[in-house]
Amino acid sequence: MRRVRRLPCALRAVPVAAGLVLAATSAASAPPERIVSLNMCTDELVLRLADRERIASVTWLSQDPRNANMADVARQVLANHGLVEQVLALKPDLVVAGAYTTRATVNLLRRVGTSPREFGVPRNLAEMRVQIREMAALLGEEARGEALIADIDTRLDALAARRPARPLRAIVLRPNGFTVGRGSLVDEILTRAGLVNIAAELGIESYGQIPLEAVALAGAEVLVLNDTPDGPPSLAHEVLHHPVITALAGKLKPVTLPSRLWTCAGPSVIDAIEQLVAATEPSR
Amino acid sequence: MAIVAQGISVSLSGRCVLNAADVTLQPGEMLGIVGPNGAGKTTLLRVLAGLLKPDQGSVRYDGSSARELGRRALARRVAFLAQDGATAWSLCVEAVVGLGRLPHRPPFGGESEADRAAVANAMALCDVAAFAGRTFGTLSGGEGRRVLLARALAVEAAYLLADEPLAGLDPGHQLDTLQRLRSVAAEGAGVAVVLHDLSLAARFCDRLLLLDRGRRIADGAPGEVLGDQLLADVFGVTALRGQRDGTPFLLPWQTINQKGSPHDGA
Amino acid sequence: MKHRAGAGLRTLVLLPVLGLVILITAAASLAVGYAALPLDQAFADAIAGRASLPALVLLELRLPRALLGALVGFSLGMAGAAMQGLMRNPLAEPGVVGISSAAALGAVAAFYSGLSATVALALPLGGIAGALSATLVLFVLLGRGASTMTLILAGVALNSFAGAATALALNLAPNPYAALEIVFWLMGSLADRSMSHVWLVLPLMLAGWLLMASTAPALDALSLGEETAASLGFDLTWLLARLIGGAALAVGSAVAVTGAIGFVGLVVPHLLRPLVGHRPGKLLVASGLGGAILVLAADLGVRLAPVRPELKLGVVTALIGAPFLFALVQRLRREAL
Repeated sequence: MRRVRRLPCALRAVPVAAGLVLAATSAASAPPERIVSLNMCTDELVLRLADRERIASVTWLSQDPRNANMADVARQVLANHGLVEQVLALKPDLVVAGAYTTRATVNLLRRVGTSPREFGVPRNLAEMRVQIREMAALLGEEARGEALIADIDTRLDALAARRPARPLRAIVLRPNGFTVGRGSLVDEILTRAGLVNIAAELGIESYGQIPLEAVALAGAEVLVLNDTPDGPPSLAHEVLHHPVITALAGKLKPVTLPSRLWTCAGPSVIDAIEQLVAATEPSR
Repeated sequence: MAIVAQGISVSLSGRCVLNAADVTLQPGEMLGIVGPNGAGKTTLLRVLAGLLKPDQGSVRYDGSSARELGRRALARRVAFLAQDGATAWSLCVEAVVGLGRLPHRPPFGGESEADRAAVANAMALCDVAAFAGRTFGTLSGGEGRRVLLARALAVEAAYLLADEPLAGLDPGHQLDTLQRLRSVAAEGAGVAVVLHDLSLAARFCDRLLLLDRGRRIADGAPGEVLGDQLLADVFGVTALRGQRDGTPFLLPWQTINQKGSPHDGA
Repeated sequence: MKHRAGAGLRTLVLLPVLGLVILITAAASLAVGYAALPLDQAFADAIAGRASLPALVLLELRLPRALLGALVGFSLGMAGAAMQGLMRNPLAEPGVVGISSAAALGAVAAFYSGLSATVALALPLGGIAGALSATLVLFVLLGRGASTMTLILAGVALNSFAGAATALALNLAPNPYAALEIVFWLMGSLADRSMSHVWLVLPLMLAGWLLMASTAPALDALSLGEETAASLGFDLTWLLARLIGGAALAVGSAVAVTGAIGFVGLVVPHLLRPLVGHRPGKLLVASGLGGAILVLAADLGVRLAPVRPELKLGVVTALIGAPFLFALVQRLRREAL
């Protein structure tokens, strides 16, 4: 007993980790029962695909309905702040994280034998489908995964039918003056909604900042504002309420989309496309 | 017409600096305020200038109190020459003297003809007109003191109060300064100076006020005030006396030890 | 007399010349931007009242930027000259002595607590409250005529405290973007400001300028020391109140809308002082105009420099000002020896 107490914290986790590895190898085909997610976007997929009883914890960010799409369900589950001690205390059999989750956390978890499965950010809808399938397989819910993808495809087809003859020119404005350019998921969202992304024309790759002057002079017909309504104040959000934007909204068709619809590349992206299509319909 | 101070008592940092002192300054006379260190000379001068409010007693300027006159009117009537002589910025001499006209100028008015005349006059009186364009900081001690005196004269006030104007000056400049102050008094202003040098005080002042430990000890002609008995009691010295061209002079000569007998030898 | 006439002429010419330079720099500021703007069309549309896109960009983006640059520069320049006149020390300046960072703290508290969303005026008032607290602390601790070293040390202490408190406030702010926005508050920027910011601070700044300008004769008198100044008819307590109040109003509201831009109040008075015959009173308005020019020019530099993301304005003024401060300290040490 005394010897165990003198061991450093990480080493004390070895028996736990050994147990986990054994459990993982012996339960290769059994679905995980204690899932911990360390990233807001993986949270969403996990919450959609797995039964609540099997989810041990998701991040605190997913519990805010302003930022997350599955907040109601998320609040019924324990919240974590991405800290290694919290993760280990939950005794997970599956940990999922984002590609941008803190490296220190991920490395430490690997060292104690609880290797997190990492999910990157899909750059288009095809990659998004692949990711859904991958997560579904990991969770042992392949059927639900396929159902989700089927639903997505159905809605996409329906939306495709409502696309305009002539694509409208649009520009996206996000907090801090960021816009989305070529080769990003949002770019595809715009295309699917029958819009031309001016930022892509201006040569912006993926995410980049665009000065308000350029937004005003870009010759757009639709202004897509990505905002968190009633959010706490920050300079980043102030930019979106600049008088020039308000004045522009009188000239262009403004569409305000809540950030949560496309912060994560998940099925709510289709909601975003739907809102875009609905908003731009009457102007045709 | 006079500055009349009655029953002035002042305590600073719990210490009684002035105790029921009286003093009157008439126009056209030069009053010397003398006394040992810590007698309260500078404090009394500041009270007269309106810079320090006494705990007890009153000061009346030609019959009115400072409050009745108002700050600017008081500033026009009483000019004060402070002991230290530095300027914070590299002002030119003419600008320094020009500052003496501030009580006369409206807050954002420019200089008037009267202002320019007063400045020129003051600089001529103090013999600093030649330095008009030079930076104050480049002048020597004596020259700088003259410029500051010119600043005080530029106010063209009825009363001029000078706090130890001779400090740090060499003998030539000391005599110079006192002669200028005498001529200012002769023109009709009331001049009061705090002095340490008893010989010079006796020579140049019409009246002397002797203070010791905050009390007024004597007030009158230099001959009466600086008599042997008072010199011994207040300063603890004996003096040599003489005459030159009809003007008496005195020279503190020897200290007296506490028992009262003069020390031997020189 | 000849010398005086010469100096008088110089001062008479100086202010209009500075004013002209401001107009030129402001015009340049309107012409420079991030996207090609057909200026003639924009002006024509703006004057005619047509709300075309170029007119919109001119009136809602470029004009507020130029206006605010001039207003903030004027405030900082004048406040620097005023503080130097009062403390009789050429190193006194809102940034160096910590008043700007305290103003930033006040503004941050008002902004991120959501108070300024309810009451817009809370933002500059927060900045003013911060500036006022710092100035009062300075004067209570140091009195007037404090030595250079004491002044700088007090400034270091205030700057450190205010900077740390600002970082803490941003950390505690509920919005995740907030923690990254400290760069704006401590380094300053004119980007993405609007006319609403201009209207918000203009009356407060004007009040501050008037208060400070009214102390001109008193500051001149103060060159001869406090006793002499009092004997020349100036009420030192009232002077202090006007100066502290005026500087707090001007600097506090400036920092609230553009963050803390430093060194303007240090460099400009120093450069212009010889041109006004070293008179602290005359230096006030001249430093205001000079400050406006400096900030407008620095903002032009920020937009023209091929650095992305865009440099913060406070970075540019610090790159100019910090070496300047070093040189000034060296010179003061040499003179003291």
